[in-house]
Amino acid sequence: MTRWTLVGTLVLGLIALVAGLAWLLHRRRGHTRGEALVRSAGYVLLWTHCLLVVTPFLWVILTSLKPSREILASPFSVPRVLREPTAASWRQTADNYATAWTKSHFRSYFANSVKISACTVVLTVGIAAMAAYVLARFEFFGRKLLYLLFLAGMMFPAQLILVPLFFQFSWMSDQLSAVTLAVTRALGIGPYRVQMHNSHLTLILLYTAVSLPFSVFVLTNFMRTIPSELREAALIDGATEWQAFWRVMLPMARPGLVSVAIFNFLGVWNEYLYALVFLDEEAMRTLPLGLASVSILADYKSDYGLMFAGLVITVLPILAAYLFLQRHLTRGVTLGALKG
Amino acid sequence: MRPSRGMIAVFLLPAVALYTVFVLIPALSAFGYSFTDFTGVTRPRWIGLENFTELADTGSDFTAALLNNLFIILVPGTATLLVALAFAFFIDQQLHGSRLFRVVFFFPNILPLAATAALWILVFSATDIGAVNRVLRAMGFAPAQFMSSANLLRSLVPILVWGGAGFYMILFLAAMSSIPSTLYEAARMDGAGLWHQFRHVTLPLLRDTIAMCLIFTIIGGLKFFDLIWIFEKQHPTRDSHVVATLIYSMAFNQYRSGYGAAMSIVQFVLILAVTLVSLKLFRKERLEY
Repeated sequence: MTRWTLVGTLVLGLIALVAGLAWLLHRRRGHTRGEALVRSAGYVLLWTHCLLVVTPFLWVILTSLKPSREILASPFSVPRVLREPTAASWRQTADNYATAWTKSHFRSYFANSVKISACTVVLTVGIAAMAAYVLARFEFFGRKLLYLLFLAGMMFPAQLILVPLFFQFSWMSDQLSAVTLAVTRALGIGPYRVQMHNSHLTLILLYTAVSLPFSVFVLTNFMRTIPSELREAALIDGATEWQAFWRVMLPMARPGLVSVAIFNFLGVWNEYLYALVFLDEEAMRTLPLGLASVSILADYKSDYGLMFAGLVITVLPILAAYLFLQRHLTRGVTLGALKG
Repeated sequence: MRPSRGMIAVFLLPAVALYTVFVLIPALSAFGYSFTDFTGVTRPRWIGLENFTELADTGSDFTAALLNNLFIILVPGTATLLVALAFAFFIDQQLHGSRLFRVVFFFPNILPLAATAALWILVFSATDIGAVNRVLRAMGFAPAQFMSSANLLRSLVPILVWGGAGFYMILFLAAMSSIPSTLYEAARMDGAGLWHQFRHVTLPLLRDTIAMCLIFTIIGGLKFFDLIWIFEKQHPTRDSHVVATLIYSMAFNQYRSGYGAAMSIVQFVLILAVTLVSLKLFRKERLEY
């Protein structure tokens, strides 16, 4: 009770102090009353929001160092490991992460997320760049229609394709299995069935397909800015069409490719809905799915240690990547804004 | 030098094939399913417009869900834009630490929504670990059930502002930085204070950006899914269902895939309408092909 009142008073006092200092400083620098007021209010607002963003993460990181029992007993104290760092308390802390990492499959979630995101990005960028190059550079029958069809995909909500896709996958599994069974039987090797549900390959192909509209849109616009004389010069020098694309056009389009890659990586890494529908098996799941199921269960089991550790495992790599690629990310996502 | 037809076909084939199988065919079959009573198990039977008349009923679960989408667009959506505009305005005043603010404020936007959800479940928890309820209790208020179905939509307001303001702030800042400083100087010469400069120089020149952000807000509000699905532990109620969660429940939990498909068609048509309006608004800059 008293501690919380104290914390509240401190925070409010700090804010008042910042406001007062800012006001005085601005007045002394010769700003008008109005300007000083606006700028002081700005500092208060911006620093408050800064605290609101940073504090929850600091709390989560600190709390993840506590075993579940300690979390329930004193969720807002400094973790015991930091107060009295004994071997025993370190082991309990490590237990949180060990449980999350192995027993709760966060290791698999992590590996799955890396694998699925990386494959999707490589596939999307490659396929979209090829299509965009042709759509941007050459005139052929049906070009405008095809481009419009791709653009239309940006408006499809996930639910629109999700429901039919679920049943389409069952049908496709049966059809493809009929073929593979016949082939494997003819070759005399073990019967092989195709299962499109609960498969990383399916999910990668699906993610690639739904990432295409935006990627094709951005890359087509980008390819238009590259002079077509470059291709002709390469062809005259004896290059094949493929070499002209791979060696000349792609390197020129690199800034566009990077933005598209970053944007898609983020989208796939964070994706929840498709993964929820198409990955059933625990060990097949991705990080967002795993974290969501841990959060959903935490209230029932009161096992918050796992949830905190899982949250840290999910957020830390993103934070690290963000601090490294901050400019690129802001640009990529702002570009992604066009997708809506 | 004209490229051969074969080369064009080879370059287009992978994209067209994937897109057709995984996007176009399912999207088209959604239209087909929406006129049937498909359950996911039995053979679909043609029932004409029955699904659509059912969901258009004013008392239907769909109408209730759509109203919740409307709430998300109007209340948290608008609040996010206003807060983002305020942030952008202050940062544009060249306050110290502008770079830090940009980096920090944008960060929640790149988190997976599952992580945002987990974080706020902990912050708003009604058990002892919920920080907000701790503070409320210390101030003498009764603890609140922030995450109950009945309160969920209102609790989304701070969550969405927290998670979305940074993104719109970046868009506003980009637009503000392209306003020539001579305009502000001229306004100052005429004796305009900060507020008048904002009201009569900045705001009018941000009109297109604001309109674009409104359209993102509307489309994002129509597609809203993840947070409600996780907060409601995969079982939203009539109080908390939005269109996207309702479609999911219909198609995969209640064996009414045909009805769910009809809802997704309506959702798509609404998004299409908003997009077409926005294309009309921004015709000058975009839609070049």
